[in-house]
Amino acid sequence: MIWRAGAALKEVDVWLGLTLRQMTKIGVDSVPIALFIAMFTGIVLALQASYTFTGAIPLYFVGVLVGKTMMLELGPVLTGLALAGRVGANISAELGTMKVTEQIDALETMAYPPVAYLVVPRILAGIIMFPIVTALAIGMGIGAGWLTALQLLDMSTYEFMHGLTLFFLPFDVFFAMIKATSFGFMVTSIGCFYGFQTRGGAEGVGRSTTQAVVISSMVILVLDAFWAVTLL
Amino acid sequence: MSIEIRDLHKAFGSKEVLRGFSATARDGETLVILGGSGSGKSVTLKHVVGLLDPDRGEVLVDGDRVDSLGQAELYALRRKVGYVFQFAALFDSLTVAENVGMGLQRMKEYTPADRERRVEECLDLVDLEGFGSRMPAELSGGQRKRAGIARAIATEPDYLLYDEPTTGLDPLTRAVIDRLINRMKEELRVTGIVITHDMESAFRVADRFAMIHEGRQQFEGSPEEIRETRDPVVRAFIEGRPELIEEVG
Amino acid sequence: MKESRDALVGVVIVAALLLIGFGTLWLQGVSLTGERVDIEAVFERVGQIQPGSDVKLRGVRIGRVRSVEVEPDGELVRLVLRIDGEVTLPEGAVVVLSPESMFGDWQAEIQPPGVYPAQRFSQPREEGTLPGYSLPDISELTAAADDISENLGILTERVGIAFSDETARNIASLIENVEEVTERLSELVSQQATSFTDVTDEVTRATRSIGQAAEDARISFGRIDDLLAREELGETLDDLAVVSANLRELSGEFRETNTEVRQMAARMDTTFASLSRITSELEAGEGTLGRLLQDPTMAAELESTVIELNLLLADIRENPRRYLRLSIF
Repeated sequence: MIWRAGAALKEVDVWLGLTLRQMTKIGVDSVPIALFIAMFTGIVLALQASYTFTGAIPLYFVGVLVGKTMMLELGPVLTGLALAGRVGANISAELGTMKVTEQIDALETMAYPPVAYLVVPRILAGIIMFPIVTALAIGMGIGAGWLTALQLLDMSTYEFMHGLTLFFLPFDVFFAMIKATSFGFMVTSIGCFYGFQTRGGAEGVGRSTTQAVVISSMVILVLDAFWAVTLL
Repeated sequence: MSIEIRDLHKAFGSKEVLRGFSATARDGETLVILGGSGSGKSVTLKHVVGLLDPDRGEVLVDGDRVDSLGQAELYALRRKVGYVFQFAALFDSLTVAENVGMGLQRMKEYTPADRERRVEECLDLVDLEGFGSRMPAELSGGQRKRAGIARAIATEPDYLLYDEPTTGLDPLTRAVIDRLINRMKEELRVTGIVITHDMESAFRVADRFAMIHEGRQQFEGSPEEIRETRDPVVRAFIEGRPELIEEVG
Repeated sequence: MKESRDALVGVVIVAALLLIGFGTLWLQGVSLTGERVDIEAVFERVGQIQPGSDVKLRGVRIGRVRSVEVEPDGELVRLVLRIDGEVTLPEGAVVVLSPESMFGDWQAEIQPPGVYPAQRFSQPREEGTLPGYSLPDISELTAAADDISENLGILTERVGIAFSDETARNIASLIENVEEVTERLSELVSQQATSFTDVTDEVTRATRSIGQAAEDARISFGRIDDLLAREELGETLDDLAVVSANLRELSGEFRETNTEVRQMAARMDTTFASLSRITSELEAGEGTLGRLLQDPTMAAELESTVIELNLLLADIRENPRRYLRLSIF
């Protein structure tokens, strides 16, 4: 199916307009949940870091831990998992319903290639919007961590920022974006795949939705490890 | 201008749905394909527009073998064939007008203004004027069917395929749909294939009949011929008397 | 409504891109305002410094390390430091790299010259580049400590070898020799040598040589502390052997020559006093050798020997007639 999606890329006139629509659905509508998750993750990270670092380790390491963890791991992965639930389920349920109600056949009969019409916009939107949402989530997580450090941990902004910048490498951002892009590609592809595979009415839609979410989540964790092994 | 179905075989896994079905829809006529539920009527229809490829046998539309066409030719063929789905298969996320206009969007000869006019025309034809801005979820079953027909005729096809157009509708709406099918044939000069198991409706629209039984052609002929046939399988089906088959068996 | 949603996509994307762009630049320490200047410094090694590490002047952060590159010839590492353009650097400034905390974060400190010895700094070949010196890493210090403890181990082992069986045997035989001398002296006296009238020069020489021997022994023992480190124990033991040989020779001469006993006794007194002092020092545990010789049996033997000698000498002095009677008469 990915191959077919690649081939369908040349049908620009079909997918171009739809991609923007999917970017709204996949990306913009996911921002609140991603920010919500990231905010609490940032708060918890800061508190747990200070709890762990009592004594010998200076408090500015809270900044190091919040920054590094949000960028390298929790930002992309938690956003990916949240969106696997939200976006993956949405895609496979929508396409599954279209499949069982013959809407996909209808597209075919109206000379619309379903892959170009349905799959390409979703995958493209996923590839574009996952990193965008992830970036916002990372920003939110670090911001929440900083406010927590300031309000609850009695740290100064300078201390937190010092920790944040201490071990920062531009590669961290690149790494997060690579992860998010790959998650976006996999979650949307898997959602489309299971949607198109749907057979047998409402029950079939439910089954493929569940599978899409479960498989996407697993793939995210495997990919996460894969990038850690290959890029770090 | 004809659709010829020849010796069509199709199996899904171990389940052989079609085992050598043949039928012909002649120019300007409406062919009604009869058959019980799960007898392979819908499968046959999907072969006509290349949604399915036959395991054996062939479907000829205007003399072109459907399963041998390339992507572009297949799309060209599909523009000549309007397909009315069983449950209309309207796109939930689009308005009725957008649904009807979708096929036209793929045709460069229609400007946006032309398209809008054509959509109005089609909605008028199916008596749905003023429903263009509604969403499919806001329509009744009969209105959806009609919207589906409007979408199918929008591209001015030479052929119209109806997948159980009257199933699940009340008698009055069924009559409306049947009248609509006949109007399409007369006003637009389209060749039609209707698959149904609704005999009342079938006799109202049919110029010819074909019947699928156990994946093969059980009968082909005119409405008069089917009324007079002595074939117990056909008689049992059109009269709704299963005991006729049991007596034979 | 559709337009506003499309606009929202744009807003979200732009917001995220700005966040990524400015966030990255800011975290890298690229200042968007104020003039910045780059200065360079060269180092033999740079520890754990990396791009982004703080640059400080008198404890105040004035910039960041921008790049860390090994020179093309591989001899030096060149650091580019991007600092606040308004800061005036001290005359003849040098750059010292040091750990900022014990967690691996390092800083580059710009310092006036003279805090660390100048010869430690890598000297740049061209004008404008600052000399640099990197403080040793914790790991290097650990390695040095490791080295030292290894040397100590070797040293201990060598000392152990030096004072092994052979040394102990040598010292024991020395003591035996001393005992033997004492015995012979006693024997000689008790033999009541018939004539003491012919006091010869030989006797004088003999007593002198016994004094000399004792002196030798004292010096030898005294030198043992120094000698230990130089592994000259063998020589020391040779010295001891000489002492005992002298003593033996003396006793032989004694027997042969019938010296003037009183005079001899006086000389012997000083000789043995010396010996006594040495041995008591050893016994008291003074000096490295003394401590090492704290073997109770050995010390006891030495002590008893000396006591016997002293007793004998005292007896000779008190009652010369008892010993010389026969010879006088």
